[in-house]
Amino acid sequence: MAIVKMSEFSLFAFDVEKEALLKTLQNFGYVHFSNLTEEFGDESLGLEPVKVPHKLTEIEEKLSKVSSAVSILSKYEQKESSIKAMMEGNKTYSFEELEKIVLDIDYIALADEILSLSKEKDDIVQKIEHLRTEIDELKPWQYLGASIETLSNTYFSDITIGTVSRKLKEKLIEIMSEAENGYYEIINEDKNNLYLLLISHKSDTDDLIDSLKNLSFTKVKLQIKLTPDEEIKIREEKIKKYELEIEEIENNLKERLDYLENLKLAFDYLNNLKLRFSVSENFIKTEKVVFIKGYIPTSKKDEFEKSVREALGNVYYLEIKEAEKENPKVPILLENSNYAETFESLTGMYALPKYSEIDPTPFLAPFYTLFFGMMAADVGYGLIMLLGTFFALKKFKLSDAQRKSIKFFYYLSFSVIIWGFIYGSLFGGVVKIPGLIDPANDYNTVLLMSIAFGVIHVMFALGLKAYMLIRDRKILDALFDVGFWYFALIGSIVFLLSTMGIIGGVIKTISLVMMIVGMLGIVATGGRSSGSIGGKLAGGFYSLYGITGYIGDFVSYSRLMALGLAGGFIAGAINMIAGMVSGLGVVGFILAIVIFIAGQLFNLGLSLLGAYVHSIRLIYVEFFGKFYEGGGPKFNLLRAKPKYINIK
Amino acid sequence: MTISEFLVNYGGIFFAGLGIACAVILSGIGSARGVGIVGEAAAGLMIEEPQKFGRSLILQLLPGTQGLYGFVIGLLVLGKLDVGMPLAEGLYLFAACLPIALVGWKSAISQGRVAASGITLLAKNEENSTYGIIYAVMVETYALLSFVTSLILVNAVSF
Repeated sequence: MAIVKMSEFSLFAFDVEKEALLKTLQNFGYVHFSNLTEEFGDESLGLEPVKVPHKLTEIEEKLSKVSSAVSILSKYEQKESSIKAMMEGNKTYSFEELEKIVLDIDYIALADEILSLSKEKDDIVQKIEHLRTEIDELKPWQYLGASIETLSNTYFSDITIGTVSRKLKEKLIEIMSEAENGYYEIINEDKNNLYLLLISHKSDTDDLIDSLKNLSFTKVKLQIKLTPDEEIKIREEKIKKYELEIEEIENNLKERLDYLENLKLAFDYLNNLKLRFSVSENFIKTEKVVFIKGYIPTSKKDEFEKSVREALGNVYYLEIKEAEKENPKVPILLENSNYAETFESLTGMYALPKYSEIDPTPFLAPFYTLFFGMMAADVGYGLIMLLGTFFALKKFKLSDAQRKSIKFFYYLSFSVIIWGFIYGSLFGGVVKIPGLIDPANDYNTVLLMSIAFGVIHVMFALGLKAYMLIRDRKILDALFDVGFWYFALIGSIVFLLSTMGIIGGVIKTISLVMMIVGMLGIVATGGRSSGSIGGKLAGGFYSLYGITGYIGDFVSYSRLMALGLAGGFIAGAINMIAGMVSGLGVVGFILAIVIFIAGQLFNLGLSLLGAYVHSIRLIYVEFFGKFYEGGGPKFNLLRAKPKYINIK
Repeated sequence: MTISEFLVNYGGIFFAGLGIACAVILSGIGSARGVGIVGEAAAGLMIEEPQKFGRSLILQLLPGTQGLYGFVIGLLVLGKLDVGMPLAEGLYLFAACLPIALVGWKSAISQGRVAASGITLLAKNEENSTYGIIYAVMVETYALLSFVTSLILVNAVSF
């Protein structure tokens, strides 16, 4: 129910046995290695860092081959519908199973085969591309009946082909009618150009072409022998032949689809293998002996010792001790109840706790649930969430991370439904249900309630800070930094209420005294870390000034009201539009249903996104700001995150 | 009919109508700009990684809510329109529309900018794109507050 207790181990073993050790430890999984090369950067002790560059490059090469082969084959895979794919999910293997299966397959040969097939195909595709461009060049000339070879074989005249901009057609006709020994023919025209054949006497050719240059005449030389039409046909034949070849290659590839699953396994296996080798760069060694240091969860100490013994026999030296509380390098693994663990992602997104702190997850979970429900607040939306997540949890085969995030929304849906009943909102009031509060009219009640939740939330955060200080035997600090603030805040809130006449009598005096005591206490102790008396006093007053921050914090909780109200009114507006349209006969009725469904789904998404993010904000800024620092490193399992399978 | 006669007779509905127009137009302009800014950034991303479309769509949608808020306020004021409404009521409704009109307009553009930077985050590292969404939604807070203020103003006083 908190941060998992860690133990630090130091292990000496023979360097030659390192690989066997790592293999066993990867099966075990729960090991986090410390980087010793940083700690013992000094090589004068005769220690040197372990380096395995060759091994790593070798594995990386294999990996890149396998992953390209997978992506090539995946293109030919029959895609299942995404819902069906979700229901089947990824297969689960144990680590040993995975290794056993993969080592039985010659996956590299398989990948090579696929890659060479794909390369062959790419080459042919390129050839086809080339032919297509040639055809495009020839296309405009296809009505030229003569073979290009014959055009250059005349005795007295020159036959030239070329293009002229189409806009200049009239000018062309003009020029050509003036030329005496020239003949022209427009073979073809398209959007921009005229395609010309010119016949001129050899002595006049240069003049004629010169005069045509003004019309941006461009001479064209076709590198072919037969008539353009024939040449096009030849190329088209070739393309057809190539396309058959491609089809054959693709069939060849499709036949290998059965091996896709194996390649995917190989990919995940290789990734783990890569990790296994790359972690060893954390170690240092002498000529023969390797020194390994790291952390394991204390609860798994015996298992760890067993694994080491299994791998190394009796030739090793192992020392395990409890991790030090104050050491910032202790890796963090969280362990929470079924409900709270779904909120760990929120803690992780902010920062994991330091080993000396507490895990805030179980404390933020109920508040987050409350806030989320209050902001989304609709029975209909909550039911959609509940049914959707319930279906997914029951029917889909999910990885652990997916299961956690769906469960997260499953738990939140209850809060959304409950708040929907409190606000009396079902799809924005499409069916009237009696609620406890009508937020549209009693928004003052909702606002006060929101701020009251805020006060409780912030007080709770201060309480957690006090708990941590008392746990670390800093009782005075707890009084100074939390106790006085409790006095000042509670005193001033109660005093404010009593001046408004809500609470009266002796309580007013008591609260006033509390407030003053608290504030004086803050001024007196807030700057105690400073050296000089002046510094202490200034620091104290500055601390007291922090009370404005608390006012800001409390006001910030008004978003609980604001989002709930906004979502409700947008849903109401959608219903209103649907209602207006529904009066227009049958078509109107159908349209109204479409507007209602699409609009409500849109607002559902909007409300959930808003509730998700604004609840996070209240947790991160207002709640964590009071007591939580975070910044512990993550405990990295000795497992690479699999892409295609689940590893148990 | 002189101006003052017009104001006395039809000033109420004129200003209330102007309020609706402001709420819808200004917040709509803002949202259109904001959504546009994000859209431009997101379209570039789609060249390389079309599989990130879903997440980029969330980011693009974020500055769109202001227009929606303005629209809802417009719709609510619409329900109160009456040809013979007094000038004071019309002016009051006009004032009630101003928060969402002005804040909606400017905040949508700012939010669009933040969300467009969020697209960069999404391009580099998909897992961290939630941070981009959170940053963008922070801007939304103020649009939300002005929306609720407009909402309360429209509902609070009945003439």
